[in-house]
Amino acid sequence: MRIKVSKLSCLVILVIIIKLIASCTPQSCLQETTSFLNAGFYKTGTGTPLAPDSITVFGIGNETNMLYDQAPKLTSINLPLNASSDACGFVIKVNNITDTLRFIYSSRPYLISKECGITFFFTLDSVMVSGTIVDTIVVTNNNITIFNAENIRIFY
Amino acid sequence: MQRISGYFISLLIINFNLSVRAQDSIKVHLNIRAGFDIYGPAVYLINQNNLNFEAFIAFERSSRKTFILEGGYQNFKYFQYNYNWVSNGVFFRGGIDFNMIKPFEAAGKYYAGIGLRYGLSIYNSAVPSFQHDNYWGTGIGSIPSSTHVAHFFEVDPGIKTDILKNLSIGWNLRLRFLVYSGTGKDFKPVSIPGYGNGVKSFSPGINYYIIINIPYKSVYVKPEVEKVHEKETESVKQQ
Repeated sequence: MRIKVSKLSCLVILVIIIKLIASCTPQSCLQETTSFLNAGFYKTGTGTPLAPDSITVFGIGNETNMLYDQAPKLTSINLPLNASSDACGFVIKVNNITDTLRFIYSSRPYLISKECGITFFFTLDSVMVSGTIVDTIVVTNNNITIFNAENIRIFY
Repeated sequence: MQRISGYFISLLIINFNLSVRAQDSIKVHLNIRAGFDIYGPAVYLINQNNLNFEAFIAFERSSRKTFILEGGYQNFKYFQYNYNWVSNGVFFRGGIDFNMIKPFEAAGKYYAGIGLRYGLSIYNSAVPSFQHDNYWGTGIGSIPSSTHVAHFFEVDPGIKTDILKNLSIGWNLRLRFLVYSGTGKDFKPVSIPGYGNGVKSFSPGINYYIIINIPYKSVYVKPEVEKVHEKETESVKQQ
């Protein structure tokens, strides 16, 4: 009995040493860490997805940094909201016709994991659109997270 | 005549066996045990951001069952490229250990069994600074210190053995299951004292104990004779 217990104790000491070494090794983050507002494109008057021939998107006040530049045949786009503010806007060119979208929201910090750290989640309060090509915007899910669900539908 | 003599011989064998077993019974001390963990301080020597002390007091109700109360303190800091986390607090666990070794074989010196625990952790946590980069630039912030109460269950397989009179060593694996972290679902804690990584609902761990035993009662245990008795009775019937 004493020999068996001693052998087991030796095994556990080995496991402890391995665990101690492993605990000092940093692990990498393999998850998405940015929350995006996901917008799907639909044909006006129907529930049918309709990919525009081309889409260009950039943030208002951030014109030199394009999110999408003449991107062809996308049925949805991801828009990053500004966590330092409770509102932000985007210029969106659908088939070379320009509209603007403006979002009002609240943000809250979210801990993804020990390795990935903290990001922001958002609760969408309202959406405003100006221009000619976008007909209607419907909010389908006002909770904007890293988990990539559709948040708004853009009918054009 | 042969049957009758065989019957009497068998009875003699049974009686002899029983008397031998009675003589084989041994005196076992039931102890009050007090132990402290050396794994936590060992981790601290390698990683000064994780200070964990814990100890226990146990009452051996019988050779099989031990009631146990554990307590400890943890001060934990974690630095990642985009955030800092600090937490500290106390924790308590209460439960029972079941020795799987038969009392006669364990002889009051060996334990190999499984423990069940309920755990409670009262802790403060804060994020002194964090930053998040995206299309719009870098957002920075902090989350002030707040107090939380977490609850968890444990299943603890382990081994203990006497190495000197009234001194034992032993280890416990900790298989912890989080019931409630004490925070909202958006901000699960990086570390809960006594539990571990609060982002996950299962957190394994280990403790290595040095244990002082204080005998408070003696009992006599003998090997289990019931099955031997039954077998021999059956052989008598067959004859």
